[in-house]
Amino acid sequence: MLQIQSLQAGYGALPVLHGIEMSVGRNEAVAIVGPNGAGKTTLVRTLCGLVKPMAGRVLKDGVALTDLPAHRRAERGIAVVLENRNLFVELTVRDNLRLAESAGRKASGGSLRFSLDEVLTLFPAVKERYHSSVGLLSGGQQQMVAIARALLLQPDLLILDELTTGLAPKIVKEILGVLNNLRTQGMAILLVEQSITIAAEMTDRAYVLSVGKVAQEIRRGEWQAVLADDSLIKAYLHG
Amino acid sequence: MSASLVMQAILSGITNGFVYALIGIGLAVIFKGTQIINAMQGEFAVIGAMVTVFALEPAGLPYGLSILLGVISGAAAGVIIDRLFVQPMMRQRAGEESFLLLTIGLAVTLSAAVLYLAGRNSYLLPSWGEEGVIEILDAFLQIQALWLIGTAIIVVVGLRLFYGRTLLGLSMMAASMDPDGAATNGINVRRMRSLTFLLGGTIGAIAGILVAPLVAVNYHMGIALTLKGFAAAILGGLSNPLGAVLGGVTLGLLESLAVVGFPSGYKDVIALAMMIVIMIVMPNGLLGRVGRIGG
Repeated sequence: MLQIQSLQAGYGALPVLHGIEMSVGRNEAVAIVGPNGAGKTTLVRTLCGLVKPMAGRVLKDGVALTDLPAHRRAERGIAVVLENRNLFVELTVRDNLRLAESAGRKASGGSLRFSLDEVLTLFPAVKERYHSSVGLLSGGQQQMVAIARALLLQPDLLILDELTTGLAPKIVKEILGVLNNLRTQGMAILLVEQSITIAAEMTDRAYVLSVGKVAQEIRRGEWQAVLADDSLIKAYLHG
Repeated sequence: MSASLVMQAILSGITNGFVYALIGIGLAVIFKGTQIINAMQGEFAVIGAMVTVFALEPAGLPYGLSILLGVISGAAAGVIIDRLFVQPMMRQRAGEESFLLLTIGLAVTLSAAVLYLAGRNSYLLPSWGEEGVIEILDAFLQIQALWLIGTAIIVVVGLRLFYGRTLLGLSMMAASMDPDGAATNGINVRRMRSLTFLLGGTIGAIAGILVAPLVAVNYHMGIALTLKGFAAAILGGLSNPLGAVLGGVTLGLLESLAVVGFPSGYKDVIALAMMIVIMIVMPNGLLGRVGRIGG
């Protein structure tokens, strides 16, 4: 579904990513793990069109996205929850979701379609605060709104950047439960995560990013071995 | 000091206040949609008024068509400025101060262009409807002032409905609040910014066309209008069109009532000193923090 070929990207003249090669298959959950400064967020921002690549290509279903602006990528079925959520905090939950719902009508995403009611059923806490200003919500509730909004874009690929950072364990559990549910329904997920435990729990395989390069690939079925042997964690993830 | 003198000052203050309000509304719209303080908002008014003046005479077009051309010219000026200057600077990630400098430069340039094309003369437009005045408690209000007040109210109500009830209005606000969040949610941020400038230019031109039957328009009027409109918008909470109306009327009343008790030369000093006091007491504007984000 998603192919990243020889991708080089960064800010100004300074490249952060160097020749990234990755792929995410249909119905697959893939993690990108790595320490701070590895280039994970730059990669996410490049995939969703907020950072223009210096070289290389991003393809979705064989079609090059490289020159498409971010709003057109959303129409192509790529939804992203950015690290700082990027919600419209002065608007209500309702208005945030309305905007996504409207954009989702133009999306050429996958077979999974989400109505507003279905999304609100997935996140009862969001339904309770439906008419509240997003800025008045807790971090966990905001994260749920961000995921709900992403689902209303009717994606077939969901990119999640540092989803669990700073959230209470109870909220993390609730959110991961929803994502697991989406995964079993066939949603492709690209999860950027610092916690290797969460990455192992949530995904089929992973790429370890270090200093802007893919340092290692954790293949399907290798998670147990990686968790049992902490050499990878020590080498790339700083414990 | 007679009661009729005070009443006359109040009516004049309200009329002037709605002029400032209409400029302030345009400023608020552009700030709300782009986070840019547009120091050339008054120039949109001059463009709209001047195009209407010249379309009416010497071109000889009907008044309604001339007004339409004036409004279109303001809207077009907004879009052209966005496409030629604002968008390229946005792509270079210019800071807020750069945009302020840009719009100050454009205001001076447009003023010089109007001087070149229209000369130093001042121009009045005919009243929109019936000429004349109405008497209220021994004081007088021009009928054109009612058009001005009515239009400003319609614009504010319309904007409130537009931003609060329509997806396009919400998208324009979203694009301004968080461009990255908007873009990744399928909103074309560049288009929203262009539409914001179109809306700001349209409101500016309407202001100019409404003012021109009351106050003669000339090449250097834009900067003065911008300053008063800016004061009105700040007083009301910069991104809230309703606040701009409250701010404009407050400023207009302060100016007019100052003249009742003091020599007219002091009117700006007294009005602006009072504004400073209000801003110290109410730093988020007359509508408070909530008013800063309202429609």
